Amino acid sequence: MSNDPIYSAFAEDEEMAELVEMFVEEMPDRISSLQDAWESSARNDLQNIAHQLKGSSAGYGFAAVGRSAADLEDALKDMERELASVKAEFDALLNLCSRVSA
Amino acid sequence: MVHADRKPVLLLVDDQPAIHRLLAVKLRNEELEFLTAFTGEEALELAKEQQPSLILLDLTMPGMSGFEVLKALKENTDTMEIPVIIVSGSTDSRHKVRAFELGAMDYVCKPFDVPELRARIQSAIKLHRLMKMLEQRAQIDGLTGLWNRAYFDKRLEIELNSRRRTNRPLALVICDLDHFKLLNDNYGHPAGDTVLQGFASLLNHELRSSDVACRYGGEEFALILPETTPDEAIRACDRIRLAIDAKSWKNYEGLSATASFGLAHSDDLPVETAEEWIEAADSALYEAKRGGRNQVHAYGHGLAAGGALEIDEPPTEQAA
Repeated sequence: MSNDPIYSAFAEDEEMAELVEMFVEEMPDRISSLQDAWESSARNDLQNIAHQLKGSSAGYGFAAVGRSAADLEDALKDMERELASVKAEFDALLNLCSRVSA
Repeated sequence: MVHADRKPVLLLVDDQPAIHRLLAVKLRNEELEFLTAFTGEEALELAKEQQPSLILLDLTMPGMSGFEVLKALKENTDTMEIPVIIVSGSTDSRHKVRAFELGAMDYVCKPFDVPELRARIQSAIKLHRLMKMLEQRAQIDGLTGLWNRAYFDKRLEIELNSRRRTNRPLALVICDLDHFKLLNDNYGHPAGDTVLQGFASLLNHELRSSDVACRYGGEEFALILPETTPDEAIRACDRIRLAIDAKSWKNYEGLSATASFGLAHSDDLPVETAEEWIEAADSALYEAKRGGRNQVHAYGHGLAAGGALEIDEPPTEQAA
């Protein structure tokens, strides 16, 4: 997985600059709640955070994060799947979140 | 109250601050005022107090879900008319159908396209304003501009319900222009219309803004006076009675108009139904007519003002 920074599609948009910055600053909190939920196998929490990221990321110009969050949410909704089996989706989202930059 | 000159107020309900910030910036050129709520409970309270023009409502929130909030909004008479647009991360068509079944006006999926969301917001606000206007027009009497009979029936029920809860005093007056048919015959229908309009404007002038003046039919008017003592109600009726009696009608030389008043007050009325209230006021009006017109009768007390009485004397039964 790459570790290159990801920049907002609205990086050049002046009215968005400050907002994007705040969104990026809050990312470490989101990442740690994702990790906490994963480590404590809190499937519902995990699904909620993914749902929120799906809804907000694209609005801040991070469409890839939004898509990845949607993949994780969909995988978690499938109750046939064990939590362990969505590890790939979880890792992908975590990787994207950690690369988000202002 | 609907303030026509106030900017439309949008209540945004979402548990994510990131969504609030984004919309505040993206919608800042929209001539809107913003209210924000982060939980369903907070949203219900704000909706009731602030009467926003539109609510944008998220579905997935901790605590009350968006569906529960929507249901509660639509079940409360104070908030049921406020349009709601669901803004949700769910694209599941069952969620969309459920939202519309519960009374949502529109459904927008997150992540949303900002120009589309703006257009949907403006369209919802416009539709809501037109609905309000139509609703109000349907409740107003065209000739006098007073509330009409349909509104009176609805409002009397509301006032009686609130009285059952609070036991606050209430007065109902039915008044009728005297010899109106004769006036129409002698001076013509345009004169009759002028008198009806003149009487309506006296009512507006003499009553408080919390009172409700309605054209009940023909030359009959109904006044709902909340939180009014019998004495205050009699004084209000007598002010109107004296004013219409004293009014001169330009273009109609020799024309004079008077009115008779029948008052029912909660102090004298153990009854609860609207029909019984109207009957009581009507029977007092009948007594006022029979007693010689241009007077005020109170149900259970007889002549209260006008006729042979001065306003400051206590009510008596003598002239019934």
